[in-house]
Amino acid sequence: MAIQVSGITKRFNDFTALDSVDLEVRSGELLALLGPSGSGKTTLLRIMAGLESPDAGGLLLNGEEALGLKPRDRQVGFVFQHYALFRHMTVFDNVAFGLKVRPRGQRPSSAEIRRRVTELLDLVQLSPFAGRYPAQLSGGQRQRVALARALAIEPKVLLLDEPFGALDAKVRKELRRWLRKLHEDIHVTSVFVTHDQEEALELADRVVVMNQGRIEQIGSPAEVYDHPASAFVYEFLGQVNRLDCTVEGGIAHIGDGALAIATDGGVQGRAVAYVRPHDLGVTPAVGGPARISGIHVVGPDARIDIDLAGLALEAEMDRERLATLGIVAGDRCAVHIDRARVFAR
Amino acid sequence: MVAAGSDAVPAGRESAVTVRASLPLFRKPSVLPGFGLTLGFTVSYLSIIVLVPLAALIVKSSGLGWSGFWTAVTTPRVLAAFQVSFGLSFAAALTNAIFGLLVTWVLVRYDFPGKRLVDALVDLPFALPTAVAGIALSALYAPNGWLGKPLNELFGMKVAFTPLGIAIALTFIGLPFVVRTVQPILQDLPPEEEEAAASLGASRLQIFGGIILPAILPALVTGFALSFARGIGEYGSVIFIAGNMPGLTEILPLLIVIKLEQYDYAGAAAVGTAMLAVSFVMLLILNLLQQWMRSRHAR
Amino acid sequence: MPADTITSTSTNIAVPPVRSVLSEPGWVRFLLIAGALLFLALFLLLPLVAVFAEALRHGFDAYWAALTEPDAVAAIELTLIVAVISVPANLLFGVAASWCVAKFDFRGKNLLITLIDLPFSVSPVISGLIYVLLFGLNGLFGAYLRDMGIQIIFAVPGLVLATIFVTFPFVARELIPLMQEQGSDEEEAALVLGASGWQTFWRVTIPNIKWGLLYGVLLCNARAMGEFGAVSVVSGHIRGETNTMPLHVEILYNEYNFVAAFAVASLLAMLALVTLVVKTALEWRFGEELAATRH
Repeated sequence: MAIQVSGITKRFNDFTALDSVDLEVRSGELLALLGPSGSGKTTLLRIMAGLESPDAGGLLLNGEEALGLKPRDRQVGFVFQHYALFRHMTVFDNVAFGLKVRPRGQRPSSAEIRRRVTELLDLVQLSPFAGRYPAQLSGGQRQRVALARALAIEPKVLLLDEPFGALDAKVRKELRRWLRKLHEDIHVTSVFVTHDQEEALELADRVVVMNQGRIEQIGSPAEVYDHPASAFVYEFLGQVNRLDCTVEGGIAHIGDGALAIATDGGVQGRAVAYVRPHDLGVTPAVGGPARISGIHVVGPDARIDIDLAGLALEAEMDRERLATLGIVAGDRCAVHIDRARVFAR
Repeated sequence: MVAAGSDAVPAGRESAVTVRASLPLFRKPSVLPGFGLTLGFTVSYLSIIVLVPLAALIVKSSGLGWSGFWTAVTTPRVLAAFQVSFGLSFAAALTNAIFGLLVTWVLVRYDFPGKRLVDALVDLPFALPTAVAGIALSALYAPNGWLGKPLNELFGMKVAFTPLGIAIALTFIGLPFVVRTVQPILQDLPPEEEEAAASLGASRLQIFGGIILPAILPALVTGFALSFARGIGEYGSVIFIAGNMPGLTEILPLLIVIKLEQYDYAGAAAVGTAMLAVSFVMLLILNLLQQWMRSRHAR
Repeated sequence: MPADTITSTSTNIAVPPVRSVLSEPGWVRFLLIAGALLFLALFLLLPLVAVFAEALRHGFDAYWAALTEPDAVAAIELTLIVAVISVPANLLFGVAASWCVAKFDFRGKNLLITLIDLPFSVSPVISGLIYVLLFGLNGLFGAYLRDMGIQIIFAVPGLVLATIFVTFPFVARELIPLMQEQGSDEEEAALVLGASGWQTFWRVTIPNIKWGLLYGVLLCNARAMGEFGAVSVVSGHIRGETNTMPLHVEILYNEYNFVAAFAVASLLAMLALVTLVVKTALEWRFGEELAATRH
């Protein structure tokens, strides 16, 4: 285990940012802390780095007790959300900083520092910019400088706080792929914080979904998306239809009995069924119970608004399928649910 | 349903321990070092240089007792000085509010040659030692001075050694307060509102009165208040041009100096305390007024 | 009409002056500008010109003689001494105060900021008076100091104290907003990268605030050298001993030695002008730097 978090609790006056959180980060993996703002993910990251101290709990870094250690002694690389580049230093000096401030005995020679910084700048493809100041760089370039600076001290773990948060959509996508590849090359244990589910699902080996200071679910991207452990995860990851229902004898009745689904048991009485739009099937049916109230084509996909006895539903399918069905707005249709999860209210 | 045995955390789990929210901390923890050192130094230095000496003022004047204090600050000469200081500071601050606004407007809205130089010149009263301003104004407005002579010969106006001279010195001293307070606000005023008003058919004057003035009024009042407060305490630039006749052109700070020269420490302390108290009350009122205006103009 | 003329005319119509809807007719603008400039010329420029004109009224030799006369030289020296002590003292204080106020959250912070600004709202005369009340002969510690043989009032220590008081907030009030705006991210980054507290302070914090620091020191110094009211109260006006330049100006003026008074005053006016020039230069440079941090 590279990082072991046990029972970490952190409060800011009345606000509980982290409520007895347990987490293990495996060596070499790329882990995402995913959650809405205020879920405690950044606080957890900052505690790992030693920038905050928890009110209770324990933290092991590579098997060593780390809570008593100052940030400078933890050997972690931290990439700040807004990069926190030293604005008065060139790109080169930014990256060299961590080596230059080492105590005399441990400090590499200036030739060695130069060699290593050059190597890192090559790695992040910024060698031509070594003499520039942060203000003269684009957002994506700054981000890469921040990464190189964090890697310069050869950290045992790399922590990234919303690494792509301040970038525009296109750069964000490019940089995401680039970071994934970089991680495959250097394989340093990495934890990154994000509120963007797409980013977490695409980039991470495992995703930790957080909400209100607690961990809702931990798993591979496929696991958390396909098998959400809670209503929160269902709603937070991807689009979802949220349908009030009543469960009797293992059957959930939705919208005055217009739809029924089998549940996996355990839930009784008033409940909520979660159905992903692509798990909602539509078939044209003259005199069917539902009506197509609108069709929106977005790129290769189509979003279909359905009115089922006053209940607004959303289905999703590709355009080919839509053409095959031959439905248009105003048509009557039948709907069926391929897959759903029911949670008690 | 959910995967990965030990990793899975059941949702909605009750936390085992409920801890009462801890008391608000004296300080939010931080990894940055040096809090104790710098706060300790700051508070000690502040106490030695500012707080203890100011306390001495209160202690000294309280030595008179309430009735003694009241007698000391209500003699006709002191009351007259209050009138001179506050009245003329008010007049000067008002002048500055009007002309300061004009200067700010011109600096922000218009382009003309030498604008940057003029902008820098506005800070002159901040940078020029008050005594230098004092003798310069005094020389200018003296009966045989560059301005004093024509004013006297053409209009029969006497400026130096009259209340008017004091008001001019206080206007000089207070001008940058108004300009520097209003300038950033006027600069950051979004043009959209004015454009909207113009598209609705408002005239330039209506736009100024209805859109611009309300937006900069809180800043203007702040500038006025700062200029006013500075005027009450001002000494160096005034005493040369004032003539310093008790009851007519004697300002409060000068009265304090005179009492000190007569070794009337308690009397000086009493006048100083009263002056501070009245200034603070007035600043408080103006602050409240300003807050009220700001809340009315809040978006 | 040739085609290209039409094109250029239509271009002129297409790109009107930026604020055409939002500006006043030309004659109004002219009147307002003229009014503002006249006011500034009358109230600000003329006094400044008068200082130099009066100083050179009897030629450069008289001017130079007034400046090199022993009492004037002593006043210049004393002014420098007072500034050399009080400016670094307030510099140190300003850096310490802004560090604890801008980098930490604690109770009573707003009160502390208000108290730091307090000397600005106190009359200079009162600033001097309070030290007389403490250390003067009839003051709270007067008898004790006399027994110890220490003189503060009517001596250099009093001048220094009064000057420190009136220039107290200058550095701090420049640095506090600057450091608050910059936040602590860079310092945290330095600590994570292995820097010690001092390394972080010298290599990251100081370079980031150096222009603000210089700006504050500049204003602090201008006021320290030019202060009149506060030092006037504690000085005792002993020629050649406790007279700073502004006090010397007063004495000469009251003796009707106008040329000498304005000669010394012209030095102070030049100091003010240099201060303004450097300040304006810093604002241009420093303004850009601040803007560069706001991404």
